Amino acid sequence: MDYGKELMQHLTEAKQAIEKAGDNKSLQKVKNDYISKNGIISKYMRKMRDVPKDEKKLLGKAVNDAREAFMKAYSKKQEALRKEEIERKLSEEAVDVTLPGKKLDTGHVHVLNQIIDELTELFIGLGYTVEEGPEIETDEYNFEMLNLPKTHPARDMQDTFYITEETLLRTHTSPVQIRTLLKNTMKKPIKIICPGKVYRRDDDDQTHSHQFTQIEGLVVDEKTSLSDLKGTLLLMARKMFGEERQIRLRPSYFPFTEPSVEVDVSCYKCGGKGCSMCKHTGWIEVLGAGMVNNAVLEAAGYDPENYQGFAFGVGIERIAILRYGIDDIRSFFTNDLRFNRQFR
Amino acid sequence: MKFSLKWLKEFVNVNESPEALADKFNLMSTEVSSVNHLVEVNNLTIGHVKVCEDHPDADKLKVCQVDLGDTIKQIICGAPNVNTDQKVIVALPGAVLPGDFKIKKTKIRGVESDGMICSLDEIGLDHLYGHEDGIHVLPGDAPVGDDPLDYMDLNDDVIDLDLTPNRGDLLSMIGIAYDVKAMLSTQLHIEKPLVVETDDENPVRVTSETEKCPAYHARLIKNVTLKESPYWLKARLIASGIRPINNLVDITNYVMLEYGQPLHAFDANKLNDKNIIVRQAEENEVFVTLDDKERTLKTTDIVVTDDNRPVALAGVMGGQNTEVTETTKSIMLESAIFDPVSVRRTSSRLDLRSESSMRFEKRIDPSRTIEALDRAASLYHALADGEVAEGIASHDKTDKTETPIEISLSEVQSITGYPFKTEDLEEVFERLSFRFENKDGTFTVYAPTRRLDVETKQDLIEEIVRIFGYQAIPVSFPKTPTAGYLTDRQKTRRIIRQTLSVLGLDEVITYSLVSKKEAILFDDEEKSVIKVARPMSEDKSRLRHALLPSMLDVLSYNRARDIDDVLIFEIGSAYFKETEEEHVSGVLRGSYHETKWKDDSVTVDFYVVKGLIEALLERLAIRNVDIKKPDVILRHMHPGISAVIEINGERLGYFGKLHPEFTEEHGIDEDVYVFDLLLDKILAYGKSLDEVEPISKTPAVNRDLAIVIDESITYRELRRTIETMKGLPLDRMDVFDVYTGDNVGDSKKSVALRFWFKRRDKTFSSVEIDRFMEKLIDKVQDSFDAEIRK
Repeated sequence: MDYGKELMQHLTEAKQAIEKAGDNKSLQKVKNDYISKNGIISKYMRKMRDVPKDEKKLLGKAVNDAREAFMKAYSKKQEALRKEEIERKLSEEAVDVTLPGKKLDTGHVHVLNQIIDELTELFIGLGYTVEEGPEIETDEYNFEMLNLPKTHPARDMQDTFYITEETLLRTHTSPVQIRTLLKNTMKKPIKIICPGKVYRRDDDDQTHSHQFTQIEGLVVDEKTSLSDLKGTLLLMARKMFGEERQIRLRPSYFPFTEPSVEVDVSCYKCGGKGCSMCKHTGWIEVLGAGMVNNAVLEAAGYDPENYQGFAFGVGIERIAILRYGIDDIRSFFTNDLRFNRQFR
Repeated sequence: MKFSLKWLKEFVNVNESPEALADKFNLMSTEVSSVNHLVEVNNLTIGHVKVCEDHPDADKLKVCQVDLGDTIKQIICGAPNVNTDQKVIVALPGAVLPGDFKIKKTKIRGVESDGMICSLDEIGLDHLYGHEDGIHVLPGDAPVGDDPLDYMDLNDDVIDLDLTPNRGDLLSMIGIAYDVKAMLSTQLHIEKPLVVETDDENPVRVTSETEKCPAYHARLIKNVTLKESPYWLKARLIASGIRPINNLVDITNYVMLEYGQPLHAFDANKLNDKNIIVRQAEENEVFVTLDDKERTLKTTDIVVTDDNRPVALAGVMGGQNTEVTETTKSIMLESAIFDPVSVRRTSSRLDLRSESSMRFEKRIDPSRTIEALDRAASLYHALADGEVAEGIASHDKTDKTETPIEISLSEVQSITGYPFKTEDLEEVFERLSFRFENKDGTFTVYAPTRRLDVETKQDLIEEIVRIFGYQAIPVSFPKTPTAGYLTDRQKTRRIIRQTLSVLGLDEVITYSLVSKKEAILFDDEEKSVIKVARPMSEDKSRLRHALLPSMLDVLSYNRARDIDDVLIFEIGSAYFKETEEEHVSGVLRGSYHETKWKDDSVTVDFYVVKGLIEALLERLAIRNVDIKKPDVILRHMHPGISAVIEINGERLGYFGKLHPEFTEEHGIDEDVYVFDLLLDKILAYGKSLDEVEPISKTPAVNRDLAIVIDESITYRELRRTIETMKGLPLDRMDVFDVYTGDNVGDSKKSVALRFWFKRRDKTFSSVEIDRFMEKLIDKVQDSFDAEIRK
């Protein structure tokens, strides 16, 4: 049984060598040294010849046990080394995740178009379509058919870029109303919004721009009422300025609507308590609206006895100015990219 | 319209504070632009100068002992006109004068001064009263110790109404009183004026030869005395922003404010025959107005004549020949109505807009013309000792009937969406002082002549709603079901906007009006340029033919602010005599994207711009575009680095690098790239998918080929030649290398191509592929004299 003892001795040494092996190569060498065909442990198989018959079995088992024990230690070590290797590789590959990415800069849609899109979405959801018209208009569509005959005193309120006696740069998006009414020979219900550029003969300064942007709304059918207008305006005000907003209507005058109203929205800064934003009134004037004047319906071939409706007009720049605290209307057209790029 | 609250209260009961009244105006009538005290000063007292002696230590100063009723104070005064026995305005210590000037007890050159004797200027009135040298001396009856503002009737509040063009009725105190009565549901006190006439008959005769003068009334007032108007009258004129002059002039202004009826006073002794004829002016008739200016008239002007000589430009300005002056003894007073449009034309042509002309333009209540004349006559009697001749000379063709408007309760309900009751409407009409009849829910309402703006049902509904209150109107939505959607054009615009911005371009919006030069910078088509008739300036005088010039201005603006990378686009119209044409344009310069620490960057060049356009067109489902060198060099473009985009032989747009001469001339960077696409063409060729193509089960097999060809042969030619080969199952082809240099020889280039072959019913053997390649090689050798690189 000296062999058994020897084997135990060798196995202990082998385990120590396995433990010592720092990499796969030296581990292989240990394996080679001990359990390859001529390995220290394997060699004991050859001693079989030298032992008595009844001990052969014992020796065989001892050698196998030793090999098994060796392999167990070996596998364990091999797994440990593999793990170590992966760890090393991973740590070598690690990057500084805080360095800037290879970002592809995205551009920005102009804030005025963002607001138009926002309103368009709201109104499409309410069943409106979007109508557009030319920016070079006739006096007839821009004024006369909107109940603004040539002698009307309110023409003072809209100083106009005329091109010829009869053509001009439209001063509002309202001529699109006329075009839509005229086009609608079947007299189907009309629910439209009309966004677009408009022009007034103004000197550009902080609060005036000779070119600006409007959205007009028009609903004409057999029963649309002032309360429908109020509901629609309330929805729009909340979409633009927040769900908690209230609106109030005040009497006003536009030749193409009657009754006409100015629409105030409760101040989104102070919630209506009064602050510098709303000049301590709690309210901010945002748009004009009213019931379509019968003279306009008649001019477009609608019998006011059977049709009624509302119209409203809102300045997109005004909404942007209020929403983002912009202090100069010219900013929209200067296109300083440091300004444009702020609107995500 | 600015007005005194005290004055208003003479006509209507008001218990509300000025601010509360202003709120009512805002919500029920018209916008209030301001509410102010007439004079923003306190702590003033009427003093009596008892003693006025020279200052011992200063030449120009006086030491005054001023009796303030309960005490006598010593006040130093520097005004040249201060003297003993004057009643004066004293600002006591604690008073704050305009300009935040605080009055304190102080010593001036060693002598104590316990207040200040004030000029009108110092209490903030000079600009309205006209300049007065020195301190203001009050009349002898001024009560010592009282507030001088009370005595001068200046203790008042002023409300300024921002009137809309339809509310001409609010240009008078009486009109405002009627509206306040309706708003507050309160009591009116309006009395008819009483005129004391003499036995002398009014010698004036009046006729009108023009329909533009529907009414003309005249009175003669003799023996008037010119003097200053009383404080109360002056205070009310000042509240309304009108400068008091003298009683003869002030009375006409006062009555105009009260009744809304402009009046004109002629010096009756300067009239030739008192036979007044109103007529249209003769063409080029010359007339000298009150302001001593000679005016050349047109036939559209209306003149008031006497002995066929114009004495007034009707409704606009009187004549110098009959002007009321300090020597005037006798007055012919005119109260008339002139055509609003004529007055507007004349006054704006001659730049003579006035309080009078403005009222004529907004139409005059024909029922009040004579009342206003009588009111003025009674004031001339009371304030100028005038003797009013008996009778009124009149021409009157006006219709004073009240307009009946029929409206039913159900109409009001249908249009407002509020369940009004009969009593609600009755109450509103009563508050408005509109006469009405009600027959079974159908009202006949008689709109009074003071409310010429109320003509239709809708006008009446506006009156009902504003007086009843807009806050009562409920909230609802249009009930007609309709489908909401965007048109193809609108959708396409939105896709372009989204695609280009996701691809890294910033959207800009520039002006449509540009300079003459910019309008045609990119096409030189001067004929079809649209000019505005009266531009604000040369640089905004024409409508643009292209978006690019303004966009290049945006580039320069941003470059001047050290923004290196400018990649912008705009969707907007170009304007031609015949049409408005929508463009999608871009200007690009700098790096397209960059990761500096990685040394990884893409600079904008021709192929970046082309790639962007290709991506956009692909997104818009525009296939079969042909991008090629233009046949004719594009204006301001680099001849070798620019291309046109065509589809079916139609130009969809162009792009490329700006010409170096252009960039130099315009002071912009080199290496600026632009593109310009036509939205109409994009719309015409953008095709959405009709049917999906099944995914092939057979793989595409690829082979590479490198050839050497003449440098002048374009990839487009090469590709077209190969793509149009018959019997070649080419799925697609790519170019993966283009090389010029040492190994390929002069004027030659090496092009490396990859071909994919595919048929959906078959997998090719390598022998078959070899055969395809042989055919292909033969073709390029034949067509381009290509040398095959192994």
